[in-house]
Amino acid sequence: MKGVVFSEFIEMVEDKFSPEIADRIIDQADLPSGGAYTTVGTYDHAEILSLVGCLSNETSITPGDLVQAFGSYLFSRFHTAHPSFFTGMNSAFDFLGKVEDYIHVEVRKLYPDAELPSLECEAPDTNQLRMTYRSKRPFAALAEGLIRGCVAHFEEDIDIAVEDLSDGAGTAARFVLIRN
Amino acid sequence: MNELEILRRRLEREKKARQAAESIAEEKTRAIFEANRGLQRLNESLEETVLQRTAELIDARDLAVEANRAKSAFLASMSHELRTPLNAIIGYSEMLLEEARESEAQRQFREDLGSIQSAGRHLLSLINDILDLSKIEARKMELFFERFDIRGMIDEVVTTIAPLAEKNKNRLIVTCPDDIGTMKSDLTKVRQSLFNVLSNACKFTANGEIELVAERQRHDGAESILFTIRDTGIGMTEEQLAKVFDAFAQADSSSTRHFGGTGLGLTITRNFCQLLNGRIYASSKQGEGSVFHIRLPATPAQPSAVPEPAADPAPAQAPRTVLVIDDDPAARDLICRNLARQGVRAITADGGLDGLHAAREQQPDAILLDVLMPRMDGWSVLTALKTEPALAEIPVVMVSMLEDREMAFSLGATDYLTKPVDKEKLQAILDRHCQPHTARSVLIIDDEPAVRDRFRHILSKQGWQVTTADNGAAGLAALADAQPDLILLDLIMPEMDGFEVIAQLRRDARWRDVPVVVVTAKNLTVEDRLRLNGAVQKLVRKTDSGLSELPAILGDVFPAEEPAAD
Ligand SMILES: Nc1ncnc2c1ncn2[C@@H]1O[C@H](COP(=O)(O)OP(=O)(O)OP(=O)(O)O)[C@@H](O)[C@H]1O
Ligand SMILES: [Mg+2]
Repeated sequence: MKGVVFSEFIEMVEDKFSPEIADRIIDQADLPSGGAYTTVGTYDHAEILSLVGCLSNETSITPGDLVQAFGSYLFSRFHTAHPSFFTGMNSAFDFLGKVEDYIHVEVRKLYPDAELPSLECEAPDTNQLRMTYRSKRPFAALAEGLIRGCVAHFEEDIDIAVEDLSDGAGTAARFVLIRN
Repeated sequence: MNELEILRRRLEREKKARQAAESIAEEKTRAIFEANRGLQRLNESLEETVLQRTAELIDARDLAVEANRAKSAFLASMSHELRTPLNAIIGYSEMLLEEARESEAQRQFREDLGSIQSAGRHLLSLINDILDLSKIEARKMELFFERFDIRGMIDEVVTTIAPLAEKNKNRLIVTCPDDIGTMKSDLTKVRQSLFNVLSNACKFTANGEIELVAERQRHDGAESILFTIRDTGIGMTEEQLAKVFDAFAQADSSSTRHFGGTGLGLTITRNFCQLLNGRIYASSKQGEGSVFHIRLPATPAQPSAVPEPAADPAPAQAPRTVLVIDDDPAARDLICRNLARQGVRAITADGGLDGLHAAREQQPDAILLDVLMPRMDGWSVLTALKTEPALAEIPVVMVSMLEDREMAFSLGATDYLTKPVDKEKLQAILDRHCQPHTARSVLIIDDEPAVRDRFRHILSKQGWQVTTADNGAAGLAALADAQPDLILLDLIMPEMDGFEVIAQLRRDARWRDVPVVVVTAKNLTVEDRLRLNGAVQKLVRKTDSGLSELPAILGDVFPAEEPAAD
């Protein structure tokens, strides 16, 4: 997993909780990388899972909720770091519909070794978007967070229903977005 | 304290992360470098491939160029091979025809001979066409301007075209005023141009009329001759008309197939007209007929370098000897018979070396020299002749199937004839360049070899028979041998000077009347003049301008018999 995810995670913990908690969970998680993350590096995704586990112990918030919150945070950071991806995007459906064909393509140019999940989209009507997430990694909750972050960014009134497709493993899920 | 510890650990992590980032950057840099190097290698090998391909292409091009050269050479030698026997056929049929003319009983025989001859000429013209086009393309076409009778030329063309007109049951109408007179142009090319356009008219018209009109007109302030060829044949559409002068263009490739031809006729004709400073243009209407106009200047705009043949060549008086060098027995035979008819004695040689030998032995009055011969070609023979002082003065007429006038003249040839040799042209050339033995002879008496050579050169070119002597006494001895028509005399010489020579001449009745032209560098005193008075015709100063006036001065001395100007 790309280093940017890890460094953003640590930054979020430092920011939303405290530097002490960040320091502590890094210590507790006993990471192979020692928690010294650089955005240009690549790290084992298990590290983020251990970090989330430790943070959950520390804060008594469920790991799912934490990952989802991180997803929303990541989206806002993404917007700050890569505003060019947002030009000409007028709504959440607009943006999400292009993740697979446009954003992932651009990401691959920057990180040829990035292992990206697949995100299939269908739009049965103009007010509905069905997205199917599939990955080798259990980050359905992260995906949900990112989607929620996106909806929040465009400030739209959209209901999101989540259907687990992986028997609780978190590697596949369907998100049904309905605009009100 | 705790906070400090946290910060320290954080710093530690940042440091580690930075180092990791640096080593990743380094790795990436290396990877990029490697990738670049790979690209560079690929580029180099690409360049190598390109070079190799280019070399291959160059080779292929060279091969093509060589093949093209070989093709041209083949074409040239092939048409030479074809023309040699053809010339023999035409020549012999001409001879036979002339013989048959004498007896009225042989009418049918004569007609057959005529057919052989005209078929031969047609075949020859086809071969010439092929050669013409390649020459036009190579811009090597040469022009030979001469003055000819327009009516006569038209009659000739009409005779050739008549069978073609009859073939498609066409009526041929010729309108040419009797007093149309002469024009100065390249006869062969004018004739061929008319023939080409007329043959098209015959080919593309059936049961119709073909009209040829010749008129003399003033056009753009100059005399021009306008030939109009009108037919009532199939005609052409505007599109077809626009392309008729293009090489290999036939108005309709499918339907004209059955008319035959290669589509070169009009291309060649247009090129000829342009070469002759004229033009050809056409109009046509499909189903109604076509009109072609050829307008040619009556005389070339600038005076042409090629001399006009003497209008009325002086008839030969005494037997002349001409050496014929040609490897082809038929060609030799033909020329010899032609020469015999003109009262010229012919000796022959079948190759260059034999020819040189015969020239040394027999000192002929002129040499007719074939260009293309095995072993030693005509150019080499010509060069050898011109470098041997005893032979250098003999006029050499190159006889060839190729037009190579420039080469001939640059190597010192006196004139040029193309095969088949035209009897009249041959006669005119011989009359012009090789004087009968009774032609004027001149004795040059001068002690300076350079002056003698110079005179010999100038005068023999004028047709004078030149003898020389290097002092007065030798001069008088030469006089006793053969009396010249003129003496060119230097004044200051060792042993016996010019004054003394004149005194002796006046004393002898045989020589008293031989005109003397004194050529001297001396500034004559009054006394000198008195000594010469009445005894010499002219005085020529030994300066460059004086010498170059020599021919004109001699012309004054011999006004009645001035040799044909060259
Ligand atoms: N008098 C004419 N009437 C109708 N078509 C003509 C006439 N003259 C020329 N053309 C057209 O122009 C074409 C070109 O003429 P050109 O003389 O160049 O070639 P050709 O007669 O076909 O062949 P070649 O003269 O080489 O034997 C002819 O094929 C014919 O289609
Ligand atoms: Mg033709």
